[in-house]
Amino acid sequence: MTFIAADINELALSIFGVVVALTLFVTYLASKRVTNATDFWAAGRGLTGVQNGFAIAGDYMSAASFLGIAGLIFLFGFDGFLYSVGFLVAFLTVLFLLGERMRNSGKYTIADVLSFRMKERPARSAAALGTLSVAGFYLIAQMVGAGVLIQALVGIDFALSVILTGAFMIIYIVMGGMLATSWVQIIKAILLMTATIVLTLFVLNEVGWNPINLFTEARAESPEGQAYLEPGLFLSSPIDTVSLGLALVLGTAGLPHILMRFFTVPDAKAARGSVMWAVILIGAFYVMTTALGFGARAVLGSGAEEAVGSGGNLAAPLLAEEVGGGAGTVGGDLFLAIIAAVAFATILAVVAGLVISASGAVAHDVWSNVVRHGKDSEKEEVWVAKLAAVGIGAIAIAIAVIGGEGLNVSFMVGLAFAVAASAIFPALLLALTWRRFNTSGAITGVLVGVLSSIALVIISPTVWPGPDSEGGALGFYDLANPGIVSIPLGFIGCWLGTVLSREEVAERSFDELYVRSETGLGAELGTGLTLTGRTGGRRAAAATTTLPHP
Amino acid sequence: MTEPHGTTAGRADEAAEEWHSGTDHHPEIDWVAAERSPEFRELVKKKNAFVVPATIFFLAWYTGFVLLCGYAPGFMGEEFLVDGLTVGYVLALSQFVMVWGLAAWYLRKSDREFDPLAKRAADRALEASAAAAGGRFDRSQEAAASADEVTGR
Repeated sequence: MTFIAADINELALSIFGVVVALTLFVTYLASKRVTNATDFWAAGRGLTGVQNGFAIAGDYMSAASFLGIAGLIFLFGFDGFLYSVGFLVAFLTVLFLLGERMRNSGKYTIADVLSFRMKERPARSAAALGTLSVAGFYLIAQMVGAGVLIQALVGIDFALSVILTGAFMIIYIVMGGMLATSWVQIIKAILLMTATIVLTLFVLNEVGWNPINLFTEARAESPEGQAYLEPGLFLSSPIDTVSLGLALVLGTAGLPHILMRFFTVPDAKAARGSVMWAVILIGAFYVMTTALGFGARAVLGSGAEEAVGSGGNLAAPLLAEEVGGGAGTVGGDLFLAIIAAVAFATILAVVAGLVISASGAVAHDVWSNVVRHGKDSEKEEVWVAKLAAVGIGAIAIAIAVIGGEGLNVSFMVGLAFAVAASAIFPALLLALTWRRFNTSGAITGVLVGVLSSIALVIISPTVWPGPDSEGGALGFYDLANPGIVSIPLGFIGCWLGTVLSREEVAERSFDELYVRSETGLGAELGTGLTLTGRTGGRRAAAATTTLPHP
Repeated sequence: MTEPHGTTAGRADEAAEEWHSGTDHHPEIDWVAAERSPEFRELVKKKNAFVVPATIFFLAWYTGFVLLCGYAPGFMGEEFLVDGLTVGYVLALSQFVMVWGLAAWYLRKSDREFDPLAKRAADRALEASAAAAGGRFDRSQEAAASADEVTGR
């Protein structure tokens, strides 16, 4: 396995170069068209359903999906596939409960929806806190993962890999805003799907085109035997499995960078269509993780357990090398290099989506509406957003580089989903459906959701009392995934805060939000036209920002 | 664009400022009446009649699957029809089929049933506001035109 050595893999580096050049070209095109805030955060609301569907897929499927799930299945069999199922089913929550309603009610950020009928500043602050927690945890996990992977796959040093990833991410956002980010995500989705389909075909060829052989051959290569095809090797605590499953299925509907994507389409119909496209792509991808994971076990055998690394992240690249012809052959080297470049594109698309959602929370929510009371100009708002993107990117780079490759990030993605499911999802859902819900309820709910998720993860056996600990702060509490406790706590927080106070304005304006979210009457338009044409500052024709297909 | 944005009607009023400063509201529409209109009631009723049972069903089907994974790993590992294929994997695949099926069904119902109802409810609300505005503009034409504008259709 020569590529794990510190020397540079030139082939992988050149394919990286091609991918990066393509994304920078798209960013250049976008930079000439993005002029106002609607363009910057919502791509002028000019994406079609198909484009946004690909972008959602690109935004959602992280390197943890591509390399992580393949690795988990390789190492632990069936349990890895449990993640694939949860990640997909989550989109029904998005489709039925939030997608179209977000499009109809919001403008740039999820805080727009939450603060619609509530006291502006506290509601926005709470939503921004939720957004920044989720994006922050997720981003740091992705950056550390990017560094580790690029170092292993290409041979570029960890710190340099992190800095490069962060630099490209900042360039996309500052130059081309959401328009560039969307197209980077679309390109990534196409690359990821193509690479996965080709790899799946190669693997099926290896097992005689009979998918059942994937399981029998994988079982034969596992010392666990039949248990490899059963749940329980990785997720050994039943209640923890259920807790994880709940966080996955409700957390996706609270991920700010996914919800933000619904503001980029012209109407609710396109929002709905984009979810359909996303579930087709994401579902097909996760079905294929069967071939990637079980296939890696069948093809590579138990001898590769050392080589795939502790999380199994190198299982998919090694599988590509093997089915391409083996280490040292032209086919093997090329396939490995392609998979490495796809993994890199995957990371870039996800981190760009995370940072643009965080920049929205900082610039649109905190700066423009909380600090400046909405009296700043649109130009200032976009400038602050770009500064925020640079700042957030720099902080994420710094934490990843200082923390180093040894930083324990395994709990961070789970924590991001827990916060999304326990703090953001309950508040958004109740704001859109419960007339009595008010500002106090939203703030209590978000705070309880964020704090309980973080506190429960800190005292969990994964984290307490230090690195690699198996203790846990409390003897009776041993959940690694807090969802089953923190999600109900989030809902209870929302309810309790609401019933302990009375806000007539919030209840009165429920009618407007309700009718608007269900019918689209009064929703933000792609062209910037408003109901009366007199609302001011929102008249810029953003429809012209539709990018030609690159 | 240097003017303040996100301005709403109640902006000048200091007491009203803590409410609604950042999102554009449309006070010219009578939202309370719109919410009570039979058109909107019908939309909500029909939509909930699909979405609520569908949500309960998928959450139950998925939670059931996760519970079986947690508490009945032996059952999930049993052979299904052929050696190598397990009950667990088949149930996992059923989740994929469920997602695609429910999503496609919902899209079909939305296009054929919910969207026309939503448009009717929106048109009704616009007509009512136009009538309340006292015939300042020709209701039949302007309302229809602005309904298309507002709903983005």
